[in-house]
Amino acid sequence: MNRSMLSSSPYAHNNQNVRKVMMQVQIAAFPALMAHIYLFGFGIVIQWMLAVATFIVVEYSMLKLRGRPVWPFMSDLSALITVTGLVFCIPPEAPWWVVVSGSAFALIFGKHLYGGLGYNPFNPAMLGYAFLLISFPVQMTQWTMPLDITGSTLGLIESAQIIFNGAAHTHTMDMFTGATPLGELKTSLTQGVTALETLNREPYGLLFGLSAWAWINLAFLLGGLWMVLSGVISWQFPVAFLGALAGMAFIFHQVDPTLYPPVSFVLLSGGTMLAAFFIITDPVTASTTPRGKLVYACGIGILVYVIRNWGAFPDGIAFAILLMNIAVPLIDQYTQPRVFGHKLKG
Amino acid sequence: MNPSNLLSVALRFLAKLYPASKRWLHRFHGGVFPQYYKSLSATQPIRKAFIPEKLILPLEQPVGLPAETLVKVGERVKKNQLLAQASKDPQKALIVPVHAPTSGTVMAIQPMTLPHPSGLQDQCIVLQPDGLDEAIVNALEVDGSHPGSPEALKSTLLHAGIVGMGGAGFPTYAKIPNQRGKIHTLLINGAECEPFITCDDLLMQTRAQEIVQGALITAHALGASKIICGIETNKPEAIRAMQEAASNTPVEIRSVETVYPMGGQKQLTLELTGVEMPHKAHAVDLGLLMMNVATYAAIYRAVVHGEPLTSRLVTVSGLGLNKPFNIHALIGTPFSALAELAEPKVTLDYPLVMGGPMMGFQVQNNDVPVIKTTNCILANPPEPVAMQMPCIRCGECMQACPVNLLPQQMYWHTQAHEYDKVEKLNVFDCIECGCCSYVCPSHIPLVQYYRHAKSEIKAMHAEEKATELAKQRHEFKLARIEREKREREARLKAKKEAVKKEALAEESPSAKKPEATAKSAAEAARAAAAKRAAAQKQSQKSDDSNNPPIPPARLKAIEAAKKAAAQKAQQKNEESSASSKVNREPPKSEQDEKKPDAKSAAKAAAMKAAQKRTQAKKQASTESASEVTSAKKDARQRAIEAAKKRAAAKKAELQPMAEMETEQACSDSAFPQQADVKDNTTAATELTETTTSTPASEKETARRAAIKAAKEAVAKRKAASPSKTEQTENTATPKPDEDKRKKAIEAARNRAAQKRNAANESQQGDK
Ligand code: SF4
Ligand code: SF4
Repeated sequence: MNRSMLSSSPYAHNNQNVRKVMMQVQIAAFPALMAHIYLFGFGIVIQWMLAVATFIVVEYSMLKLRGRPVWPFMSDLSALITVTGLVFCIPPEAPWWVVVSGSAFALIFGKHLYGGLGYNPFNPAMLGYAFLLISFPVQMTQWTMPLDITGSTLGLIESAQIIFNGAAHTHTMDMFTGATPLGELKTSLTQGVTALETLNREPYGLLFGLSAWAWINLAFLLGGLWMVLSGVISWQFPVAFLGALAGMAFIFHQVDPTLYPPVSFVLLSGGTMLAAFFIITDPVTASTTPRGKLVYACGIGILVYVIRNWGAFPDGIAFAILLMNIAVPLIDQYTQPRVFGHKLKG
Repeated sequence: MNPSNLLSVALRFLAKLYPASKRWLHRFHGGVFPQYYKSLSATQPIRKAFIPEKLILPLEQPVGLPAETLVKVGERVKKNQLLAQASKDPQKALIVPVHAPTSGTVMAIQPMTLPHPSGLQDQCIVLQPDGLDEAIVNALEVDGSHPGSPEALKSTLLHAGIVGMGGAGFPTYAKIPNQRGKIHTLLINGAECEPFITCDDLLMQTRAQEIVQGALITAHALGASKIICGIETNKPEAIRAMQEAASNTPVEIRSVETVYPMGGQKQLTLELTGVEMPHKAHAVDLGLLMMNVATYAAIYRAVVHGEPLTSRLVTVSGLGLNKPFNIHALIGTPFSALAELAEPKVTLDYPLVMGGPMMGFQVQNNDVPVIKTTNCILANPPEPVAMQMPCIRCGECMQACPVNLLPQQMYWHTQAHEYDKVEKLNVFDCIECGCCSYVCPSHIPLVQYYRHAKSEIKAMHAEEKATELAKQRHEFKLARIEREKREREARLKAKKEAVKKEALAEESPSAKKPEATAKSAAEAARAAAAKRAAAQKQSQKSDDSNNPPIPPARLKAIEAAKKAAAQKAQQKNEESSASSKVNREPPKSEQDEKKPDAKSAAKAAAMKAAQKRTQAKKQASTESASEVTSAKKDARQRAIEAAKKRAAAKKAELQPMAEMETEQACSDSAFPQQADVKDNTTAATELTETTTSTPASEKETARRAAIKAAKEAVAKRKAASPSKTEQTENTATPKPDEDKRKKAIEAARNRAAQKRNAANESQQGDK
């Protein structure tokens, strides 16, 4: 910055900066991480460390390649949020190269190739997730069975063995992995089993009768609420997203309860809360106007429901978000707020 | 407790949980809640008066033009003495008089650095105080009565040199409308929303009576029925003092939320009255007038005590000072002198800020003087500036913007130099409050970008105007050159034919033939003229579609002028060449011939004329060669000469009415070449064109349009560097002609040879 920039008002600042914002997001994800470890074992910790290592290597080399100052841009921690978001979407015991390639793809193709932080039109984490879903569909759907099904979780060493070697001495993949409830529901429906039956058949119910997935979602909700209250994220995103999703679920459940799961299941399964508070709130790729945020989040909610029920993938979050990312410039254009003293237009 | 109170209590509770909900407590959008640091200076008593070693009094206020000095260097002046005033009508010129803040000697009148973001230098009176503080009491010679009309109040305010003391510094007398009753609500701005600044707070605490009285005086003069004062809740003492002073008066004291920028004119107006000032509208037009508390106090002192504005309460504060304070500082006191009084923690090697941290600016030189708008002198040691990161589109700026703009989008487009889009995003509504920069987590100096964008857009518009003008002029010129080319061709052709026919006629002499030839020549000319007129109309349509009514008429006028000029040049040549010959008659007779022919006048002496004409033709043909070679180069000048010569001749001849009309039309066209055009309009072709091809009524309207257009054109041209235009036109015209001219010379020479032979033959035959 030159002198004239320095000598211009305002000379005060609220001391917020990008790093602090990102740090707050990271902290908000902590309850969910804890729940994850408790319910699915230490796999996620290894995955997360792998992702962080990837992030450091990729960020460093990309910034060097692009000729940017390395430290300020690496320390903004935005890449950390990206890989953290991605790790929550990857099965805890997926082979190591899944998370590494996913993180690298997310950062390189999702961010740096577009010009770095602030210039990427697509949510990098979701781009990486979509890439993995398409490239490694098998590995991406083999989820570790949660505590409430298997009765125990894997230890750190066992997890590491599975992630790096493909199998541990004591376990084979099939013994502890299976489909997620959303995947289960989808397969069952194709086999003619009703949604209610599927949901009742499953031995879901841990504490207070809530499944492991529901607990994870609640943990995200907790961290998310804190972020909303402290102003890190805008309330419009989760409210509109969850509202639209719940609305869709309610309507279709009323129409045909055998085919469509109830609202509570929809809201507390898969990556619903992760998306609501951590993914769609990524400001870079979301709409920026207040009304635009509502439209954007609403659109994602509807798309998620549509893809979950009628699409090919059990959870449609990645694709719903990427689709709405495309629409952001248009949304922004038509939702400009009314300027003081002007008549509303557009 | 009414519902709105209940709501605000609920919101205040919610704000503990969700801080952003504090923004719902006030009526305008956004706003920020900076750290105020007001207690630094507010807790100190007002410091006793201080007379510095020198006072620097700028002749120019932040808004308006400089006043003219009434004193000389070395002169001794008393406090309140008028030092400079406006000689022009101040109502229009926005000039504010300057008074001496204390007694002393005028040391110099010279340019000094002013407190201005750009470090502007301007003429100042430098006064050396003698410390006696001898004053002229009641310098404004008022009787203390409250003025009953806006005019009376305005005159007092003008002579007191009062300007808006809140920030902009607009002369107060110019702000007040002339009509009584136009303002129904008078607003008092006591919000003082900027951090650090406490001068209004202390003024309200110590001089509440003066403020209230000042407001009453103003309301009385303007016929305003309502007076509302808004004070932020963080000044409870001021609110109490003001309420006390306002009891038993119509002045209503209201506390408003503490949020920056509550003190913004539009923001406080909305807060106090619920009126959202429409884009580009002036408060006065809505019947509202808002002034700062300090301005009202100054009005009171001027009206009741006849004191001009020579001092004001200034906050001297900042984290770099040990003893911040408020002081009634004399206008002209150098910043550094006041800052030194506050015991800086380290030497003041960093720039001081005038105003608050949000909207103030760093002065280029710490010795700049206190001016009438200086509410605060801020000494904050420079802090390391956080690195500017890319915009992460977080939208914080948008949520903070009190004008509800989209700061991030304006920033992107400014960065991409897409200023048209920035303008569409209403960057000119930006009040440069700094809220967006204040909250931006990427530490982008957004306001700086908007200032830049604004100046770029302004420059862009100025340029656009200029190019549009130049484009018009250029197209116009091209059309003219094209037309001239066609004209010349047509003329040459017509002439050639006429000459041929005449030559034939001479061979078989008869009384009627010459006339017939002349007639046919006239007809040819007429046809050419009609064609030209059509072409011209077309070209006008295509060239100046965006400005249809003006150029066509103007073009016509120019065309006429050009044609006339060319014709004149030609005839002049005729004349000059003729005069050198023994027989002076022929060229004249040709003229005589042509005119009556066109008008179907007398036919007498046809034979003689024919005879003479052959001679004339001979000359004409030789002359036509010379015409193309040299005459056109300076057609205009020659035209003038020719016209002058001819003028005498013309007087003798009876001028056909039509000709007069043409002349008039041309002279009225007032094109830059008008001087040349005026006198020479006798061309035969011209006559035929104007008299035959257009009906009189049409001509009349055309002429009127031409007059109007021409007048406008002249005005425009005058504005846009006239000398340059003249030059380009002079240089550009001959060029395209060059080629043509050469060809024409060639052709003319051939023709001349032929004709000479023919003429000789016929002459001999005649004899
Ligand atoms: S400086 Fe302009 S854009 Fe920024 S908050 Fe103030 S009014 Fe809005
Ligand atoms: S506050 Fe700064 S980073 Fe956030 S959207 Fe505005 S300009 Fe971008």
